Amino acid sequence: MNIQEPKLSTIKKLNWSLIITIVTLLIIGLINLHSISHRADSTTTHLFYLQLIWIFLGMSVFLLISFINYHIFIRIAYILYGLNLTFLILVSFFGNVLSGSRRWLDLGLFNYQPSETFKIILIFILARILSTKRSWRAMTLTELIKPLCFILIPVLLIISQPDLGTALMILIITSSIIIFAKVHKNILLYFIFFILSISPIAWHFVLKDYQKNRILTFISPGRDPRGTGYNTIQSKIAIGSGQFLGKGFQKGTQSQLEFLPERHTDFIFSVLSEEHGFVGSIVTILLFLFLIIIGFHTAFQSKDKVGVFLCVGMSFYMFWHMFINIGMTMGVLPVVGIPLPLLSYGGSSLLTTMTALGVISSVSYRRYLF
Amino acid sequence: MRETLPRMEEELQEIIHRWKWVSWIMVGAGLILISRLWYLQIIHGEKLRKSSEINRLKETKIQAPRGLIFDRNNKILVDNFLDLKLTITPQYINNLEEAAKDISTIIQIAPQHIMEKVKTGEKKYGPFRPVIIKKHLTLNQVVDLKFLQWDYTGLDIQTTIIRHYPLNQNGAHLFGYLGEIEKNQILSFNEKYKPRLHFQSGDIIGKSGLETIWEHELRGIDGFEFVEVDVHNRKSISNIAGLWSFEPKKPIPGRNLILTIDKDLQEKTYSSFLRKDKIGPRYGSAVVMKNNGEILAWVSYPSYDPNIFSMGLSTAKWMNLVYDPTKPLINKVIQEHYAPGSTFKPIIALAALQEGLITEQTLIESPKELVFGRRTYHDYRKTGHGPINLFSAIERSANVFFYKLGIELGIDKIAKYAKLFHLGQKTNIKLDGEIAGFIPNSQWKKKHLGEAWQPGEDLVHAIGQGFILVTPLQMAIVYNAIATSGNIVKPFIVKKITDINNKEIKSFKAKISSTINNDQIAKEHFKTIRTALKKVVHGSDGTARWWKIKEVEMAGKTGTSQVIAFSKENIHDKCQKRPLKQRHHGWFVAIAPAEKPEITVSVLTEHSCSGSSGSAPIARDIIHWYFKNKKENNISSVSNKPAKI
Repeated sequence: MNIQEPKLSTIKKLNWSLIITIVTLLIIGLINLHSISHRADSTTTHLFYLQLIWIFLGMSVFLLISFINYHIFIRIAYILYGLNLTFLILVSFFGNVLSGSRRWLDLGLFNYQPSETFKIILIFILARILSTKRSWRAMTLTELIKPLCFILIPVLLIISQPDLGTALMILIITSSIIIFAKVHKNILLYFIFFILSISPIAWHFVLKDYQKNRILTFISPGRDPRGTGYNTIQSKIAIGSGQFLGKGFQKGTQSQLEFLPERHTDFIFSVLSEEHGFVGSIVTILLFLFLIIIGFHTAFQSKDKVGVFLCVGMSFYMFWHMFINIGMTMGVLPVVGIPLPLLSYGGSSLLTTMTALGVISSVSYRRYLF
Repeated sequence: MRETLPRMEEELQEIIHRWKWVSWIMVGAGLILISRLWYLQIIHGEKLRKSSEINRLKETKIQAPRGLIFDRNNKILVDNFLDLKLTITPQYINNLEEAAKDISTIIQIAPQHIMEKVKTGEKKYGPFRPVIIKKHLTLNQVVDLKFLQWDYTGLDIQTTIIRHYPLNQNGAHLFGYLGEIEKNQILSFNEKYKPRLHFQSGDIIGKSGLETIWEHELRGIDGFEFVEVDVHNRKSISNIAGLWSFEPKKPIPGRNLILTIDKDLQEKTYSSFLRKDKIGPRYGSAVVMKNNGEILAWVSYPSYDPNIFSMGLSTAKWMNLVYDPTKPLINKVIQEHYAPGSTFKPIIALAALQEGLITEQTLIESPKELVFGRRTYHDYRKTGHGPINLFSAIERSANVFFYKLGIELGIDKIAKYAKLFHLGQKTNIKLDGEIAGFIPNSQWKKKHLGEAWQPGEDLVHAIGQGFILVTPLQMAIVYNAIATSGNIVKPFIVKKITDINNKEIKSFKAKISSTINNDQIAKEHFKTIRTALKKVVHGSDGTARWWKIKEVEMAGKTGTSQVIAFSKENIHDKCQKRPLKQRHHGWFVAIAPAEKPEITVSVLTEHSCSGSSGSAPIARDIIHWYFKNKKENNISSVSNKPAKI
């Protein structure tokens, strides 16, 4: 190849605005986590230190992937898919039952959740399939069959676990990517019509009572304030009571006094909002949006279609997790058990997120290679 | 083969197009989240901040002590005690079975009973509310339980204030007792005493006596303190509270009552009911009143111990009290009425004197019986009295003398004079459950019984039997009016109300409800009656001649209140031989000193057969003690000189 490669050092080729945004969000997460686990009588003091280890591992994964050629993921996508599908089936039989569903596989050090990794692997698969398309014209129905099959097999398995939240997340992320790749308007309309027509059937035959409850509670949180609505109400109180400047570091009564449920994981944003108020929340949301825009920007800078779809996929992954999680804590969306990337405590969440961001970083790194 | 070609113009267009809508999605998502944040934190921030405070702050009540009750010399009559109780909080008890076993060895309650209490408490009020296992712990028990607290979390020793009545049974009817407020009372009480006092379910209030009448003064205002708790209702050990501080609201203790009661005299009065003579302990009541209406002592016997209400009374014990035939719960001074019997005769005498039927020297033949109409009316003395004047008639309580006056006066005149002394109406003393007694007249009988008044009934009513009913307190008012030549006083018990620092808030002065003026009954007639009453004790034929007091001259009148009517055959039967329920009640109403009376003592003993042997000794003991012990203490405002003989 004869194309001149710009002479840039390894360090300079890294996307530093991406890295700085990630590190800033991780630090915000650590401050937050310290705030709710510092108390002497707390049973969660160790979580802060565990999270430090996860962050160290996550950063290593991020840097490692940054320097790997992302085409490797495309090449091994089917192998990863096959392996993960095996795990998913295994989980359905040998997984640990947690709050009524089998999702986890105990790997000793941590619990491995195959449904989480499927989010990333399906992005690899889609990038591989969609990038083979010659032009940017809209996809036809026949072209859609292959990607849909790849998506629906794990989704149906995950629904049967049952873990509707993760299944919906996968559907939302993957359909975002497909719509981004452009689908015929008519197909989209048919699809929407199809969804609407099967939803009453799903309500009666697929949804479990607790899932129906969650949806009903979302519509009116007051219907069961001590039960299903409790989380939303306490979370809204936490966020609202933060007012403009917040109650201050380690002074959020809702979170410190354990009124806030799942405050280390799914409701971490409420802790932040309570203690740092409107100002702190806006800064965090803007940082997330900035991070996601960097992701999309990298997509458009990418030299090949694989890179475009990988970045778009990972950015959508970040976007939907952020939007649905924060929306949920504020009572805009129903309660779904998904963590806030980078801020929530948890190894699997952090490692998957850092993998996703690592892929973006890798695409960004390689934009100069041609 | 990878796509490595430089981008075409068409592709660039596509990318710009997508850039646009991705940007719009980002802006839209950002706007949704930020506007929601604005809505929650800025628009509803204040409200939600309050919700978060309510969430974390638990209001705990600090019990305000009830006001104390003192006697006229500031001796304590009703007191407060600290009570220690053992509680278990179901949430924190780690090994209930073991704990119950260990606790049971200390407090002597079966382990399964303890576990049952904890479990029902948990079911009823949830796991966070401490369940009371035992009240009234002794100090030894507390020490042992403190050691157990090291082994078991959730064990607590709590203190509460309980009412204590140092005089026990004595004065129970006066002071009353406490109990839990009833559901239907809460609303009306809150309406009545707002905004100073607030009542809620579970509150302890006065149930009878001064405790209930003066509830609004005795009751303190509970304080509150705010405890920061977490979602499990555990007290938080962090110092987040530093951010906002919440001042606890201090409890305001209730006000104290200073009574007109003299504690020592009260004790003497009570003990004088516990006699060891032939009749034994007397059932009935006695009230001692100063001539200005101040009540010095107030006893109703038998009584109950109000302390048992503070300690928790079982239903069985309560039922025993309610159905006891001797009526220990009844305040017999005002809540029970009796025929006045011969104690009514001075009113007849006054009426006859005032109406000019007799003078003090008029002699009237008083044989052993009087035939009137188709009936014979008897005297208690089988030989009769012969011709006697008013003094002798009262001294000996000669019935025929008064039968004859009764015939002359007629019931309506008798009623008129009785009503001058406020008989048949409440004295309006500030105590609960007072009844009015009854004075009949001819109109009443026609209206309510549909019969005309029979002249024969005049005879019966002239000796205080028949329809006439009076309370012992009313008789004290009557005799005090005789003693003061016509002052009908308003009896009162509370002299002063003071706050916690003994600063006077209110004081109550003696009041005269009305005065019987010279035109109604001439003053000299009262003096005549007083002389006659003195002869009852000091005359050689006096019905109470056995009860003279060395230190002071006592005047008074005996009376027998018939419980049932007797036929000719059994009228002279020995009263003591009848079944208890058929024996007469005995009255003795006394004033002392006879020449210049300072106090009135009204005593009624139930089923004691006669006033002379049943009630007079009690009155004598009270007056004797009073003048022996109290004159030196300058308790009385009236002159200190010994009475003239």
